[in-house]
Amino acid sequence: MRTSNATYLVKKGISSVWKNFLMSFASFSILMVSLLLVSCALLLMMNVNTIMGNIEDTNEITVYLEENVTDEQVEHIKSVLEKNDDLTDVQYVSKEQALEDFRNDMAEYSELLDYLEENPMPEAFLVRVKDLTKIRAVDKALNQIDGVEKTKAPYDFASVLTHIRNTFSLIGGAVLLALIVVSIVIVSNTIRTSVFARRNEINIMRYVGATSGFIKTPFFVEGMFIGVLAGAAAWGLTWLVYDSVFSLFSADLTLWQMFGFYGLTPFEDIMWLVLAVNCAAGALLGAVGTVISTGKYIKV
Amino acid sequence: MVELKNVNVHYSSGVDALQDINLRINDGEFVFIVGGSGAGKSTLVKLLMREITPTTGRVFVNGKNLAKLKGNQVAKFRRSIGMVFQDFRLIQELNVYENVAFVLRIADQSSRFIKQRVPYVLNLVDLAHKARSKPRELSGGEQQRVAIARALANDPGLIIADEPTGNIDPRLSYEIVELLRDINRSAGTTIIMVTHEHDLVKHFGGRIINIDSGSITFDDIIGGQDEDE
Ligand SMILES: Nc1ncnc2c1ncn2[C@@H]1O[C@H](COP(=O)(O)OP(=O)(O)O)[C@@H](O)[C@H]1O
Ligand SMILES: [Mg+2]
Repeated sequence: MRTSNATYLVKKGISSVWKNFLMSFASFSILMVSLLLVSCALLLMMNVNTIMGNIEDTNEITVYLEENVTDEQVEHIKSVLEKNDDLTDVQYVSKEQALEDFRNDMAEYSELLDYLEENPMPEAFLVRVKDLTKIRAVDKALNQIDGVEKTKAPYDFASVLTHIRNTFSLIGGAVLLALIVVSIVIVSNTIRTSVFARRNEINIMRYVGATSGFIKTPFFVEGMFIGVLAGAAAWGLTWLVYDSVFSLFSADLTLWQMFGFYGLTPFEDIMWLVLAVNCAAGALLGAVGTVISTGKYIKV
Repeated sequence: MVELKNVNVHYSSGVDALQDINLRINDGEFVFIVGGSGAGKSTLVKLLMREITPTTGRVFVNGKNLAKLKGNQVAKFRRSIGMVFQDFRLIQELNVYENVAFVLRIADQSSRFIKQRVPYVLNLVDLAHKARSKPRELSGGEQQRVAIARALANDPGLIIADEPTGNIDPRLSYEIVELLRDINRSAGTTIIMVTHEHDLVKHFGGRIINIDSGSITFDDIIGGQDEDE
């Protein structure tokens, strides 16, 4: 199709948005709410995943050995740990190394350590768990090994997070699905109204040799234009919501850092991605709504 | 050339609208199709514009079996014929110029061509001065002339007019037929005009096809009364 005629169809579609203002506005609003929730959900997921990633990066279990283990026992434990498929990165920490690390971590108190007559730090292995969801079981198994005194694992917070993430995915997914269905129904109703208002014109177009593509294009423009507008508006709202949550969390970051939480991703880092996703999702929902009503009501 | 071979049209309502129609109309002819209300004239028109396909038999326009057209071929075929209806079928929201330009856009013509073609065809129907008017601001006769201009826009070899004078002042009806006859004579465009107005037919004469209850009962050439021309 020539650009001039394609432009004509696009203009026609957009002008239809204003002619059909009330219905268009209803579609716009519901799409905006859906997209706002979609992007908030995605951003939340993204941040939860970052946090989970941070925890997974430090998904270390420290396996403290008993006071009086022999070198052979240490070797044996090492081989047991290395053979365990759930673990990666088995690293031995000697008593001296442990003390050194402690000294470095607590630089201000390092003189205090000079008063110690003997090294109080136990020998240990640092191991990483491949799959964070299994950490509890793995930790239990490690405690059963002969010569292991106790272990230290961050699984309480991790399991809470995993649980939150799963529950959230489930509820969020269901709500999203419902909203998406409602959005599509409302968009397709809007387009149907528009098709109905122009049924006379559509009939005439058929008689004078318009292809179904030509007849349907303005309706797609209409549906997708509403979708993109809603996407852009949802993006603006997402920005507001996100920034207020962001400042809330940044204010008291030290508390959160204890849980492997190093702040939210700033909105500026992802704003264009969020805008693109919102507009694309809006256009897609608009197109799906249009497919439904034009497929049903326009036949050449 | 238009050709119907053993055509029957049976509507699902149970009506046999056309029965065993055999008909041939050559290029450049001007044909009146007459018959009472419900005789099957519009059904014949619908066949020719490929709105419906025959229940049995075949319809050819310019050698093409219309039942064989698929998808966008139907649209392309319709661009090669011009349609004129009793109720004008103009788009009320668009002005006269846009109503004509519209079909050229549908045929994907360049804006340059559209800009010169629309005034040209509006001039042919003597409506160049009404280009910016909306259809409702025009008389019935004028609206029908816009419809004829629109039918001419794509320079079709065949124009089919279904009761084009049915909704307009009888006095102006003659002008419309006159216009169609001029198009037929000057451009050699085949014209099929459906009407139930006997006065009109008697006045102009020519080839007359009479349809009665779905069958052709008369197909011959009669002399007109406008010999003085
Ligand atoms: N779409 C349709 N469905 C069922 N019956 C129809 C349809 N169109 C026309 N008919 C019937 O077919 C017959 C012929 O109609 P039509 O071709 O419109 O006649 P005309 O144009 O000569 O008045 C009539 O009896 C009419 O009621
Ligand atoms: Mg009729």
